[in-house]
Amino acid sequence: MIIRCLVALLLLLGSVVTLPTAAQEEDAQSRTVIGPTNADLADGAVALRMGDAVDGVRLTQRGLNTATSDRERVAGYSNLCAGLVMLHRLDEALDACNRALEINDEHWRSYSNRALVYLKQKRYADAKRDITNGEAINPNARTLKIVKSMLLDATDPVAPVITIDDRRQVPADDRG
Amino acid sequence: MTVGNRLLFPALVLLSTSSLASAEQGMTHLTERSSERIPLNTVAPVYPAIARRDRVEGDVQVCFNVDRDGRPYRIAVRSSTNRVFEKPSIRAIRASRYVALPRQQEVPGIKTCRTFQFRLEAVASN
Repeated sequence: MIIRCLVALLLLLGSVVTLPTAAQEEDAQSRTVIGPTNADLADGAVALRMGDAVDGVRLTQRGLNTATSDRERVAGYSNLCAGLVMLHRLDEALDACNRALEINDEHWRSYSNRALVYLKQKRYADAKRDITNGEAINPNARTLKIVKSMLLDATDPVAPVITIDDRRQVPADDRG
Repeated sequence: MTVGNRLLFPALVLLSTSSLASAEQGMTHLTERSSERIPLNTVAPVYPAIARRDRVEGDVQVCFNVDRDGRPYRIAVRSSTNRVFEKPSIRAIRASRYVALPRQQEVPGIKTCRTFQFRLEAVASN
């Protein structure tokens, strides 16, 4: 159980979106602006990555109030979703993920986060659908693979079995 | 050693094995004597976490020599279906031991081969 919680925490931290800094975004236009476009969202993402869900959610909500672009809003709602899952506020987390996906239905991190919410709510079919949607956008996403593994462990659990077979004949070219 | 004893021996060995494998991992040891040497301590490889996560199964055959003291050396992967299983297999061989030979007995030059089958078996869900 503890391992599951740790995995979920790591997973969420991996799903936190860090917004690009203004310096990166506006590189072509100006080199005088330093720092993130939305300091609260950026600080919220850092807090979530550090495992501080309470502060992360508070800062992210504050950042969402001053978000100026859809990109910021998607990242904010997705992070809010992750933070609320960490606080076990699943219904609110689901709402935040839904809002992120309403703005951008190609945001694989939101699908990943929402799949985790569904998984915790035991809505396995919904979780599977979101994992499939996320994989279609980013087939190599590690967090999606972890959520998928958690889903499979919940629906089709397996146990590793190793068979050691010493019966094989030694090949002729391996003699000597 | 009778045939019966020969079949019984590995099971007893496995009971005293200081396995590298996790507690939740099952293990089966099939023996029929393919080598001149008798296993003393058979270590099972750990199922790689990534392979388990991605539900990957596979086989690895490892061949090696065994010195007079029963330590495997010149360990090499002869065949494998997925590279993810190779390192755990080599580690398991390196940690395994065979019964040492008496001083008067010549060390056979023949290689021993061992095949590891990594499988995931369904278990009842809660």
